[in-house]
Amino acid sequence: MRPAAFALAGILAIASGAPAASPPAVGTGIEAPRGAQLSGPELDKRTEDIGALLRCPVCQGLSVADSPATMARNMKAEVREKLAKGYDQEQILAYFERSYGEFVRLDPPMRGVNWLVWFGPLAVLLAGGAVIAWVMRRSRRQAGATEPREVAIAAPADSDPPSRDTVPADPRLAAAVRRVRMLAYGWPQGVPPKAAS
Amino acid sequence: MATARPSRINGKVVIAGLAITLPLLGVLVANLGRDPHSVRSPLIGRPAPAFSLVPVGGGAPLSLENLRGKPVVINFWATWCVPCFEEHAALTAAARGLPDVQFLGIVYEDEEARTQDFLQQRPSPYPSLIDSEGKAAIAYGVFGVPETFFIDGNGRIVDKHVGPMTRSTIAALATKAKEGAR
Amino acid sequence: MVPILGRILILLALLAASAGALVGFATGMRPNAAGWKWARRLAYAFAAFMVLANLTMEYALLTHDFSVSYVAHVGSRRVPTWVSIVSLWSSLEGSILFWGLVMGVYIAVATSRNANRHPEYMPYAVGVWLACGAFFSFLLAGPAQPFATVPNPALDGPGPNPLLQNHYLMVIHPPFLYSGYVGMTIPFGLACAALLVGRLGNDFIRPLRNFLLLSWIFLTCAIVLGGWWAYEVLGWGGYWAWDPVENASFLPWLTATAALHSALLVERKGVLKGWTVVLVLATYLLTILGTFMTRSGVFNSVHSFTQSAIGPTILVFLAAALVFSLVLLALRVDTLGAEGRLETGPSRDVIFLVQNLLFVLFTFTVLLGTVFPLVVEAVRGVQMSVGRPYFDRMSVPVGVALLFVMGVGPALPWGRATAQQMRSALLPPLLSALLLAIAGLVLGVRNPWTLLALFFGGFTAQVTLSEMFLPVRQRMRSHGERFAEAFRQAQVRGRRRFGAYVVHAGAILAIVSIAVSSTMGSSKEVQLNKGESSTLGPYTLTFVQAEQVTDPHRESVQARVDISKNGRSLGALYPRMSQYENQREQIGSPAVRSSLTEDLYVSIHNIDSASVGLLVLINPMVSWIWIATAIMALGGLVALVPSLRGAAATAPGPVPATPIAIEGSP
Repeated sequence: MRPAAFALAGILAIASGAPAASPPAVGTGIEAPRGAQLSGPELDKRTEDIGALLRCPVCQGLSVADSPATMARNMKAEVREKLAKGYDQEQILAYFERSYGEFVRLDPPMRGVNWLVWFGPLAVLLAGGAVIAWVMRRSRRQAGATEPREVAIAAPADSDPPSRDTVPADPRLAAAVRRVRMLAYGWPQGVPPKAAS
Repeated sequence: MATARPSRINGKVVIAGLAITLPLLGVLVANLGRDPHSVRSPLIGRPAPAFSLVPVGGGAPLSLENLRGKPVVINFWATWCVPCFEEHAALTAAARGLPDVQFLGIVYEDEEARTQDFLQQRPSPYPSLIDSEGKAAIAYGVFGVPETFFIDGNGRIVDKHVGPMTRSTIAALATKAKEGAR
Repeated sequence: MVPILGRILILLALLAASAGALVGFATGMRPNAAGWKWARRLAYAFAAFMVLANLTMEYALLTHDFSVSYVAHVGSRRVPTWVSIVSLWSSLEGSILFWGLVMGVYIAVATSRNANRHPEYMPYAVGVWLACGAFFSFLLAGPAQPFATVPNPALDGPGPNPLLQNHYLMVIHPPFLYSGYVGMTIPFGLACAALLVGRLGNDFIRPLRNFLLLSWIFLTCAIVLGGWWAYEVLGWGGYWAWDPVENASFLPWLTATAALHSALLVERKGVLKGWTVVLVLATYLLTILGTFMTRSGVFNSVHSFTQSAIGPTILVFLAAALVFSLVLLALRVDTLGAEGRLETGPSRDVIFLVQNLLFVLFTFTVLLGTVFPLVVEAVRGVQMSVGRPYFDRMSVPVGVALLFVMGVGPALPWGRATAQQMRSALLPPLLSALLLAIAGLVLGVRNPWTLLALFFGGFTAQVTLSEMFLPVRQRMRSHGERFAEAFRQAQVRGRRRFGAYVVHAGAILAIVSIAVSSTMGSSKEVQLNKGESSTLGPYTLTFVQAEQVTDPHRESVQARVDISKNGRSLGALYPRMSQYENQREQIGSPAVRSSLTEDLYVSIHNIDSASVGLLVLINPMVSWIWIATAIMALGGLVALVPSLRGAAATAPGPVPATPIAIEGSP
């Protein structure tokens, strides 16, 4: 990944939300430049940043910043020229969107049903957290009803001889057995290691 | 072994499952057959972007504003493009047959020397302009060649055709451009 | 002759799979030894026919038999032999044939390993596997027929896609990918069997977990090999572009990883059985979705095979599999019954749940982003893109969060942790966390997410190393053994745990390397005349000359670029622009000089005899990503091997009092 693109991603963390919404500029041209005129390394960096947000129309999913295609290089030169004149990011993106449509923006702007791609994951995170909380509460309720067992490998029927995977049914005896195993074999908390087959 | 267990349906599973799978399947089915590589142009119905370009072989720059009042057909083409070669004859004939429509060619990602050779061998009754930095192609949202734009007398794009055209297609769309002005 | 043979073999495979599926399900509902015997035989027959069909196709490719439609499509006399062999999986129908091969082998292995075990489950499992096999055989017999007869065979063919002839990685990436992808069919069948039987005990979770792990190892390698291939071949300088087909391979990996962890809780505590089964089913369904995304032509992707008619067919199978899974889950998931209880306070249990949630969140986000352009098209009628900026922004916090829980989870004990235990578990690793973060700051890292990744990376690394050698330390303390002996003994008893921590170590290295390589690199585009130089960082690049290279199937122009670092010469790099026959566009191949610290990456934008336009990148720590993946695969193997051997060595437990165990005979 390009460092500029990742830095942009880092800065635009979820907390800061989606890029600002604005409809594509109508009229015969975009308005007067809104930002400061750039030059030098700042200009290079911003060209890469904005290039990473534009899709190369003749490539398969590559950004204008990454693509070696002639069209992409021309678009990048156009971005650079507009940055030097002082247009800001939204104006430049709107310029290309005017010609190519919303398709050319790699970062979906907040428009129409696009909010779903931004808030969907957040909703899943919150819903998942709620499910975990509910599972925990249900588990606690079950614990209140039955005697808690630390190791869930169920004791077999009494007629079976004890083995390394089982503990006696009696809890005090079970605790003693576990302690012996911890001291004798080094099993953490007396639980047989996962390699037990 | 088949256990005789009463099969109760877990409602939560059904609801969650349907909530995830139905929209997913719906979206996939709805998009079957659609070609993801053909993108529709947002410029149709909008004013044609201005440009000022030098014709092949030199001369004064031609700009779109000077052609205001007349319907204009702009054809993006290149010498390396086989379908462009095929439609060249149709365009030439159409241009001769429709004197009240201004035809223009814009050369896309090509070399001047090669276009000069091409036009010397296959003369064209209308000028072709060199788009040296690709700015016109970008302004018109060109994805490849050939792409042809039909503009009415008020400078508004009435339609765009992607791919090579036949004479009848050109005539039909040029008529649309002529009517658009009224 | 050859096309007919191929078609017959595929039809036979279809018959064997269909019959075997029916026999399997019937035997599952009414167990009997003869039924199980025939189900096994039909499974082996399916495998044999698939293997033979693939061998037939390889024979046709190597002998350039252009009367076979697939060979006419991708064969060529002018390509090297290895390309001819590899063409089997280079294009649509051939790749489905290869899918059938991998599926056949997996089914045969899984059936034979469990021929005398889990008698109530296995017939159902074989039934499900062969039903899937029948679908793919049907695809091969109909919509994706590779063995159609070409009436007037040409003398030569176009050869496979040139991008696939560019690099040797093409030889291993698809086999690994299919071994991972198709391998997920086996756990799917086992999970369905568990649902059909209505039980998921510790004995049966083992083969489920083993085959899941085996496929997971292959899939992990395959995903990273794909990234490595993109890096070495495509020339844009990165290794992951969130292309729909890349995402298609990543989605099942995410749910499979979640399932592996959740299966651990099933084994230890007998909880989360239903959830584990859901994850395993989802993994398989995602592989089918992935194959639809790749082959349907609905998605705009670098990898897209040409639009084909098999898209709708796969969609129908996906819908059927979804319905089957949903019905099965709805009816049977409650019967799986938890045997234990999750710990509710601060403990490893809770962290497991959080980790599962993070993986599910990641899966949802990537799936949503990939499918979203289709949604918008359907709803708003507008074509839009969801590209790298979106995915990067979403995946960075999730990746860092996963790194964090990877450290906190193993540090906490299984039972409820007291405050004292938490302090002694969670405070010491902060030391490594701070050290690594400070080291990053000193080396120039300023990106906040990268610093956070370094901080958590250090934390998790210390926890992982500590846990990895915990049994060894305990043995040394309690038995007085020296380190080597203690290590050997710990390995005998706890290799699976050790292997798991090795995988974690690899994962930490991978995440940190990805973070660093994404944010600490530099790049430059420069036009150089012959003899001219340019610098980037400590490197000086000089364009010496352009050379013409002729291969049998392509013409290349190669630029010789001399490299020196801090004055010392490092030799030359040879990035290339190739013109393949039958292709209009030229294809560039970058040249990469890898070292442990960083990669110097040079690719050509344009070239003629007098000057060259170069893209130069310095990508730090990229080699560590590949090394980390090898570590993860190794850890997976370490965890897998003793289970396989152990299962064969130990006899099954007390004989259950069911008639099948007595009647069943191999």
